[in-house]
Amino acid sequence: MNRWLSLLTRAGRLLSGLAGRRRGPLARHLLLLPTGVWTAIFFLGPLVLLGLYSFGRENLITLNVSLNWTLGNYQELGNPIYRSTLLRSLELSAETTIACAILGFPLAYLISRCRGRLQWLLLGAVIVPFWTSFLVRTYSWVNILRTFGPLDSLARGLGLTRSHINLLYTPTAVGIGIVYSYLPLMILPIYVALERVDDGLLEAAADLGAGGFRAFLRVVLPLGTPGLIAGMIIVGVPAAGEFVIPEILGGGKTLMIGNIVANQFLEVSNYPFGAALAMSLMVVLMIAVFSLRRIQSRLQI
Amino acid sequence: MNDNTAGVRLVEVEKRYQSVVAVRSLSLEVPRGTFFSIIGPSGCGKTTTLRIIGGFEAPDRGRVEVSGQDVTRLRPHRRPVNTVFQSYALFPHLSAFENVAFGLREARRPRAEIQERAQEMLDLVGLTGREGRRPRQLSGGQQQRVALGRALVNRPEVLLLDEPLGALDLQIRKEMQAQLKEIQREVGTTFVYVTHDQEEAFAMSDRVAVMNGGILEQVGEPAEVYRRPASSWVAGFVGGANQFPGLVSEVERPGRYVVELANGIRRTSPGVAGLKPGQQVTTVVRPEDLWLRPVAAGEEEPETAATVLDAAFLGSHRLLRLASQRLGMLSASVRGVGQEAHLGEAVALGWKDEDGWVVPAGTAEARPEGAAAQ
Amino acid sequence: MNLRRHSFAVIAGLAVLLFLWIPLVAVAINSFNRNVIMTGWSGFTTHWYSQAFHNQPVRAGVVSTIIIGAISTAASLVLSVTAGLWWRQASGRARRVFDALVYARIILPEVVFATALFFFFNLIHLGLGIGAIIIGHTVWNSAYATLIIQARIVGLDPALEEAAADLGATPWRAFRRVTAVLLLPGVVTAGLLALTFSFDDVVTSFFMGGAATAPLPIVLFGLIRFEITPEINAVGVLFMLFTVAMMSLAVSSFRAGESVVRRGGADRLMGMYRR
Repeated sequence: MNRWLSLLTRAGRLLSGLAGRRRGPLARHLLLLPTGVWTAIFFLGPLVLLGLYSFGRENLITLNVSLNWTLGNYQELGNPIYRSTLLRSLELSAETTIACAILGFPLAYLISRCRGRLQWLLLGAVIVPFWTSFLVRTYSWVNILRTFGPLDSLARGLGLTRSHINLLYTPTAVGIGIVYSYLPLMILPIYVALERVDDGLLEAAADLGAGGFRAFLRVVLPLGTPGLIAGMIIVGVPAAGEFVIPEILGGGKTLMIGNIVANQFLEVSNYPFGAALAMSLMVVLMIAVFSLRRIQSRLQI
Repeated sequence: MNDNTAGVRLVEVEKRYQSVVAVRSLSLEVPRGTFFSIIGPSGCGKTTTLRIIGGFEAPDRGRVEVSGQDVTRLRPHRRPVNTVFQSYALFPHLSAFENVAFGLREARRPRAEIQERAQEMLDLVGLTGREGRRPRQLSGGQQQRVALGRALVNRPEVLLLDEPLGALDLQIRKEMQAQLKEIQREVGTTFVYVTHDQEEAFAMSDRVAVMNGGILEQVGEPAEVYRRPASSWVAGFVGGANQFPGLVSEVERPGRYVVELANGIRRTSPGVAGLKPGQQVTTVVRPEDLWLRPVAAGEEEPETAATVLDAAFLGSHRLLRLASQRLGMLSASVRGVGQEAHLGEAVALGWKDEDGWVVPAGTAEARPEGAAAQ
Repeated sequence: MNLRRHSFAVIAGLAVLLFLWIPLVAVAINSFNRNVIMTGWSGFTTHWYSQAFHNQPVRAGVVSTIIIGAISTAASLVLSVTAGLWWRQASGRARRVFDALVYARIILPEVVFATALFFFFNLIHLGLGIGAIIIGHTVWNSAYATLIIQARIVGLDPALEEAAADLGATPWRAFRRVTAVLLLPGVVTAGLLALTFSFDDVVTSFFMGGAATAPLPIVLFGLIRFEITPEINAVGVLFMLFTVAMMSLAVSSFRAGESVVRRGGADRLMGMYRR
C-alpha cells in the first residue's frame, strides 16, 4: 500500500511540476493529454470515419464496406421516404420546441417572480421530474395514452369523443413524449434570463403606461428571449435526433431520423447509408445551432 | 553575513509582457531591517517589482538578491521571502490558526513548535480567541491580520506587502498603519511595502522609492523625497506643488541657482545637482510654503499679486486656489484662524528662497504604462 | 410576490407543474396496483416489487449498470479534472476550441455519436459489450463533468496557490493541500452527475451493448417495447428513487462547495444559458 502511495505521490509531484506556470509551453499541455487523446480517438475519430464512409459503398453480400467516394448515399436521401422522415423529424422538433416554449415560459416567469423558499421549492418541482429516469418518464405516457387508459376514459367521460381515442403509437404521442421529457430543459434557461428582470422594471413600465400584457410584451419577452433561444437550442437539437421516445411511443415504426439511423446500423447493416443519414442530421443541426447562437449574441443585453 | 548586506537588492531587472515593458532596467537596494515603500501611479510597475522579488514573476534580465543570496532562479517556495497578498489569499477551508501554521507545517517543524509559534503570532496580531474561525467568519481587518501573521510567523528575511490595506475603512486603515509600523520595529524584518497611497507610505516608511512607467524616479527618506524631489513629476506625485517654469541664469554654487521666472521675477533657490545656466527648469514651491497677506486698500500692486478663486475647508487647513497674472494658477495651504481669505479677494503672496526647489523642466504627467525608451 | 398581478402566470405555471408530475405519480400509484391490465384500481399490493426483485435480467442489469457507472464515472473524473487544470492556464483561443468540443458533446444528438462509435468499433473489429459501453459513456460523461469542474475552477482564486508557494509549499504540496481540497466538492458533484447520467443512458448502451448482458435501462427498454407488464412500474419507481437520491446528493455537495470558496462558480454554469 505504501509503495502505491509513494508512486502516486511521485507521479503527482511530476505532474504538478509540469502544471506550474514557469514550464515550457509543451509541458503545460501535458494535462490536456488524457482528455485530448480520449476525445480524439473515441469522439472525433469515429465522427470523421463516419463522415468518410458516408461516401462509401457496401457490398450487401459480404457486408464489406469500402470507400468509393460516391455520392450515392446522399442521393438516396432524396428518396421520398427518407426525405419525408428527415423533414418530419425537423418538423416534430420544431413543433415540440415551440410547445415547450409556450408551456414553459409562464412557469419560468412565475418562478422568477417568487423569492426565497418558494422559489427553491418551485425550482425543485421542475427539476426533480427531470432527475427521474427518462425511460420511466416516457413509459408513463404509454399508460396514459393507450386505449382504455386514463386519458381515454377521461375524454369519453367528458363526452369529448364517442369512440375510443387511439393516441398511442402516433406522431402526436411522440410529440407529447418529447415535450414532456424536455420541458425542464426549456424552463431553466428562461428562468435564468428572467431572473434578471427586476420587479422595478415592471413598475416602471406600468408607470409609463404599459401594464399587464403590454408590459409583458415590451419588457418581459425581450429580456427573456436570450434564455428562450438557449432553451430552443438545448431542446430542439437533441429532440431532432430522438430515438428512444419514437421507439416507445411511436410503436417501433421508423418515425424519426434517429430510428432510421439505428435501423440502418443495427438491422439492415447498411453502414454507409446510415452514415450519410447521421452526417446529414448532424450538419443540419450544427447549422441550426450556429444560427441560433448568432441570434443570441446579437441580442446580448 | 555582515550587517551591511542589503535586505533586498535588484540589479538591472527588466520585465516585459509582450510589447509592454513593465519594469525597465531597475536597480534598487533595500537596506536590511527598514520599512521600505514603493509608490507610484497605477501601472508604474511597483506590483510587478514586488512579484519579481517574491518569485512569482521571472525577470527577463537582471538579478535579484535577498540578504546577499542570489535568488533569481529560485521558485517562490524556496525563497526566504513571504508575501501579504492584496486579496489576502487566505485558505478558505482552513481556520485562522491553520492558515498561520501553514508555512510552519510545510517546513516540517515539530508539532509543539508549530503550536507555540502560531499561537504567539496570533496573539501578536491581536487575534487571540479567534484562532478557530474560518476566514469568511472574520472581518476585513481581522482577515488582514491573519494574512500578516501567516507571513511573519515564518521569520522571513524579507516581508512583501502588496497594497494590503486597500480594502479597509479609513479608520481601520489608520490603525493598521500604526500597528504595521510597530510590528516591523519589534520584529526587525525588512518590509517592502507597495501602495499607491503616498500619504500612507510616508507615514510608515524609513525609505521610499517612487516609480513611474517602469522606471525608478527617486529613492530616499520620505522627508527628502518630499522636500527635494528629483523631478517635477515626483514633486507633483508626492504632494501638492506649485510649479513655476523658468530659466537658470546663474549657478551661484553647486546646488544653488539663480532662476529667472516668468515676467522677470528672479529668485535664488536650492535645487537638484548639475543644472546649467540657460537650462529650462521648474521651481517647485509647496502650497504650505506660500505666505499670503491681504492687499490693503490703496496699496500699490505688489510684485506677486493674486486673486483668490476658491477656498476649500479641509479641517486642519484651508486649501486656496489663486490666479496670478505673473505666476499663473497657484494653490496655497493656510492654517489657523488668522489668515481668512475670501473669494475674489486680492492678496499678495510669496515664499522664502529656501522653500523653493529647482528641478529640470519636464512633464508633470505620469508615464504611460510600460513607457517606451525616454 | 403579488399574486394578483401575475394571475395568468400563476394559473398557467401551476397547470404545467401538474402536467410534469401527474404521469410520475401515476406510475408510482400503479406500481402498487393489483390490477394487471391497469384499467382501474384493484387494490394495494407489493407483488410487483417482489416480482421485480426476482427478475433475473433485471438483477443482472443492475449489476452491469453499477459496474459501467462506476468505471465510466471514474474515467470521466480523471479526464475532466486534468482538462480543468489545463484549462485554467490555457490561452483564450485554446479554451474556445475546447469549450466548443464540450458543448458539442452535450448538445448534439446521442444517436449520431453512438452510431459513429459503433461503426468505429466495427471497423477495427473491437468487441462490443460492457467495455464498449463504458468507453461510450465516458465520452459524453466527461463533457458534463468538465462543465462542473470548470465552474469550480473559475471560482478558485489563483492567489491561493501563489500564497501556498510563498509559504514554502512545492507545487505538488500546494495542489494537495489547497487546490485539491477546494476542488473536492466539485469532483463529488461531477461524479454523482456522471453516475446518474450513466445509469439513465439508453442510446449508447443500446448500440454498444451488443448481444451480451444488458444494463438495466436496456432491460427496461426491452420490457417496455415488447411486454407491458406492471413489473415495469415497480422497477421504474425504484429506479426513479435511486436517481433522485443521487442528484439530491450532487446538488447538496455542489452548494457545500459554494459556501467554502469566496467567489461562486455557479455563474459560469448559468452563463452557458445566458450566452
